[in-house]
Amino acid sequence: MTDSLGQQKPVNIKALLQACRNKEETFKTLVALSKTLPRLSVEEKTEENKIKGCESAVWLIMEENNGTRHFKADSDAKLMRGVLVAILSLVEGKTQTDIQQMDLKAELAELNLSSYLTSSRTNGVLAILDKINKA
Amino acid sequence: MAFDPLLLRPLFPILAQSAYDHPLTYLDNAATTQKPLPVLDAIQDYYRSFNANVHRGAHFLSDRATNRFEQARDTVANFINAPEQSHVIWTKGATEAINTVAFGLEHLLEKGDEILITSLEHHANLVPWQQLAFRTGARLRVLPLTSNGEWEPEFNRYFTDRTRIFAATQISNAIGVSTPLQTMLDHAKQQGAFTLVDGAQAVAHYPIDVQALDCDFYVFSGHKMYGPTGIGVLYGKNHALEVLLPYQTGGEMVRHVSYQATEFNVLPYRLEAGTPHIEGVIGLAAACDFLNSQDRLALLAWEQSLATHVYTRLHKEGGIEIYSPEKNTTLVSLSVPNIHILDLNAYLDSQGVAVRAGSHCAHPLMAQLGVAGTLRASFACYNTMEEANRFCDVLLEAIDLLNDE
Repeated sequence: MTDSLGQQKPVNIKALLQACRNKEETFKTLVALSKTLPRLSVEEKTEENKIKGCESAVWLIMEENNGTRHFKADSDAKLMRGVLVAILSLVEGKTQTDIQQMDLKAELAELNLSSYLTSSRTNGVLAILDKINKA
Repeated sequence: MAFDPLLLRPLFPILAQSAYDHPLTYLDNAATTQKPLPVLDAIQDYYRSFNANVHRGAHFLSDRATNRFEQARDTVANFINAPEQSHVIWTKGATEAINTVAFGLEHLLEKGDEILITSLEHHANLVPWQQLAFRTGARLRVLPLTSNGEWEPEFNRYFTDRTRIFAATQISNAIGVSTPLQTMLDHAKQQGAFTLVDGAQAVAHYPIDVQALDCDFYVFSGHKMYGPTGIGVLYGKNHALEVLLPYQTGGEMVRHVSYQATEFNVLPYRLEAGTPHIEGVIGLAAACDFLNSQDRLALLAWEQSLATHVYTRLHKEGGIEIYSPEKNTTLVSLSVPNIHILDLNAYLDSQGVAVRAGSHCAHPLMAQLGVAGTLRASFACYNTMEEANRFCDVLLEAIDLLNDE
């Protein structure tokens, strides 16, 4: 992504999602973001790493390194991969304490993703947040 | 003159709204239909003019409420051509109706008896029987129907002299196919089995005649036929209802109670414990009146023409797996290889198109089809050809957007 001076800037996921004016733009942004998520290998997609409660399959792996947490995730649904990019951008590299002090639901709502936070049977974002918090 | 759904639209004010700045296109009618003004008015009228508990008080409002409540039973009995109004039992929906039968027949089942269902059942017509089998030692058997709703003559062997209960859906909620109901019922009756038909997906579309079907039980939900949620019907033949032990007990279903014993009331009250869902009953009768006031076959032909139109358009496009039949159905059930149905659903939603993506409470059927779930667009009488085309257009856009890998 480039700014007005043509210089390279890291993708500001928060800004991208907040700029979406409607559901269609959020959809297209999530599809674009989904492409930035490295896919997990077949070996990593274990039953243990799978999150229960999602209608699309979601896998989440957490590793701890010098007190900070690092995440890898994948889904068979593209939009969910976009949502995972957004979620991981909030928690990646943070400590367990930092993460537990965050209000992830509120932060995702700020990203125009509140419609993914209902406890409807079609999405398990809450289950993902739960796993991140309890990890 | 051809049927014009636009004439019905003013009766459904909920449809005249935007969803995310797009016209709302409601194609999730197999999940629940919208309610016409006469149904909404009937419910409001009940609370404004004659709200009182039924069958109890001897006063002006209670008499009015009881009369209207029992008139509604007549209306529903006529709607399905039940011979007696006492054969219509109010339940909260098809699910509760099936559970009422599953618990009510438990005392007649022995180890080794067989309960037969088909492979096209909704979980509501599967889990209650499976659990009944667990409780009694009976065996749950599944008559395999093809996804075209066809059966093979050798399937006769599934009907044995141990078949005590046969329960089948009239129409698959997931793939919209009709089952060979009459043939199956004939076989079940020859074995002396109790027969139950799940009409949840049929009542909104097809005129129902329970005497012609000649099944012991017929169940459906009000909310899938333009009526309110929380009300449904268990129809039963007299002898079949009489053998059911009450699944719930309490007030209203009794004639005399002492600490030593209880004498149950007669049908239909014996199977209706507690204060009933009066507003639901009033609303359901209004929904029957609404359907009776229409040319039902014209409505059905219209709904089928929408489904066939979508089938034909999408079939021509190629690359889309369609699980519903081309003709004689009111829904289209599909998936697209390598694209998740939830992604398709999300884009359709962003454009104001409401459909259902998922397993449709039919996990074993999805396994039979070899998919995790399908995307289902289901039509009602108020849907327009423009809406059918909009579903196709937006679906194809979604496939384009998602199909880049």
